[in-house]
Amino acid sequence: MKKYFTAITIYWQRALTYRFSIVAYRIGEVTETLVLILLWTAIYEGQELIRGFTLEEMVTYVLMGTLFSVATRNFGTGLIAREIKDGILSTLLVKPINYLAYDFFRGLGRRTFVSGFSVLSQLIVMLFFLDTLILNLDFKTNALILVMLILTLLIESLLSYLLGLIAFWTDEVDGIFETFGRIRQFFAGGYFPLSLLPLTFLQISFALPFAYSFFVPAQLYLGKMDFATGVKGLGVQVIWIFILYAIIQFVWKRGLRRYEGIGI
Amino acid sequence: MKESVFKNMPIIQAKNLGKSYPFYKKEKGFGGAVKSFFARKTELAHAVKDISFSIEEGEVVGFLGPNGAGKTTTLKMLSGITTPSKGEARVLGFEPGKREYAYQRQFSIVMGQKNQLFQDLPPIETFAFNKDIYGIPEKEYQETLAELIEILGVEEILYRQARKLSLGQRMKCELIAALLHRPKILFLDEPTIGLDVVAQKNIRDFLKKYNQEHKTTIMLTSHYMEDIRELCERVIVISEGRLIYDGGIDKLIADYAPYKFIKVTFNQDGAKKETVALYGEVVEYNQYRVVLQVPRKKARQVAADILNGELPVDDIFLDEEDIDAVIREIFNKNEII
Repeated sequence: MKKYFTAITIYWQRALTYRFSIVAYRIGEVTETLVLILLWTAIYEGQELIRGFTLEEMVTYVLMGTLFSVATRNFGTGLIAREIKDGILSTLLVKPINYLAYDFFRGLGRRTFVSGFSVLSQLIVMLFFLDTLILNLDFKTNALILVMLILTLLIESLLSYLLGLIAFWTDEVDGIFETFGRIRQFFAGGYFPLSLLPLTFLQISFALPFAYSFFVPAQLYLGKMDFATGVKGLGVQVIWIFILYAIIQFVWKRGLRRYEGIGI
Repeated sequence: MKESVFKNMPIIQAKNLGKSYPFYKKEKGFGGAVKSFFARKTELAHAVKDISFSIEEGEVVGFLGPNGAGKTTTLKMLSGITTPSKGEARVLGFEPGKREYAYQRQFSIVMGQKNQLFQDLPPIETFAFNKDIYGIPEKEYQETLAELIEILGVEEILYRQARKLSLGQRMKCELIAALLHRPKILFLDEPTIGLDVVAQKNIRDFLKKYNQEHKTTIMLTSHYMEDIRELCERVIVISEGRLIYDGGIDKLIADYAPYKFIKVTFNQDGAKKETVALYGEVVEYNQYRVVLQVPRKKARQVAADILNGELPVDDIFLDEEDIDAVIREIFNKNEII
């Protein structure tokens, strides 16, 4: 077990060598949040309510949702793809270590600083919108959100790992990642609240794992979704964890057979 | 040193090992690319066709062959990175393809072109990580590390970012990372590739010393004959996926070098080219020194003839063909076996 914890500390150190990049990326993130708020403020000009959202609620949706999303995101896909493509995986395959477990733990190390900085920069943005931001201090709701985010963290890890495994079949993975990222962002409600769309979209996104990183916890926070629905969401997440794990096992076995076969 | 269970049994065994890769054939040009986008032709490439050998504990075996002969593929099968498509490999009693931790704790593979060092961190971090991966006790780790650092002379680079190391320094650190758990078997795939002559020699000297002290079984591939000549008593030569020679280096030369070289120096007025050409093919000539290439079987007789003839011989020397040339010779004609 110790080896997996060492993987965390190794990736802490590695993250520190990329201090500048970590800060630089955050500038883009913060800009995106500000652009979304600017856009909504413009749309709300002269209107009180859009589909049941006040401007305050919409700004809170953007700020809180982004906070939840940046805290749970995982960018490990590219790393896995690179390790497969460059054959670095070979050096790991011959060692007594489990690649999935290794990737999960190093992911924790890798993201500690990135997510930390993301959360920090979003909190700073929030300071400028304190007048608009709706505060919800209900313990029960916040506890539910916290559990949901922990499950999201796990789901995001599994998803990024699974996507990385595509590199077993093709060298050209960037297009797939990019497209997947955008579709996920849409179903997560990252562009706009999914409740602005016809009900079908909402139902689909409830069944998918993505909405639990943004839309669902943000709605819970705003009190626009009741507690029971949120708990049901946890159930959906747990089911997804099992499904993703099973798919990963299957894809890993097939991919490895190909890796062995091609002799990358 | 513990008594080994493999005393009377080969530590590495390959029986009719074979490996085929599927690959896609693409026709020439853009048209071909479009065609293959819709219907790709799959063919099988036979990287290794049929290879059998066994290696005893403590041996250092050189693995020779031209590019694409199947050397790397064979090492990959023995280390469990790929699985054989036919035949069987047994290493330390294990089937490598199963990737059992019990097996993995007892060997290492170093690939000249693939790094296990974390590029963004100093080598010492990779070492510490390997300590935990292999579950090496602290005391043993410190001892082994100290020993390896000393022989390789790398103290001052341990805390430098791996990315910034020279190729030679990096290879030394790769070797340390591979040897920390004191493996019984070490597979080396082109460990000196791209290194300058001095760095190559350092690595070679280290491997030699390490093998003598630890009796580690080593199997290595290299493009540099010097590596093979210095380190290995035994060589296995493969070409186009088949084994074509397995035995001592000396015998390889004796069996496959068709020529010997007679090097003669003359005194007095020297000798004319036409005269020496009567004895064999002239490879090098000046008035006072000549190198003749003669068929191996005739070499003694020709040397005797030269001595008994009328040439003003000062010194005469019978030399073997250079091993590089021998190997080249073997690969050029494929009718062998």
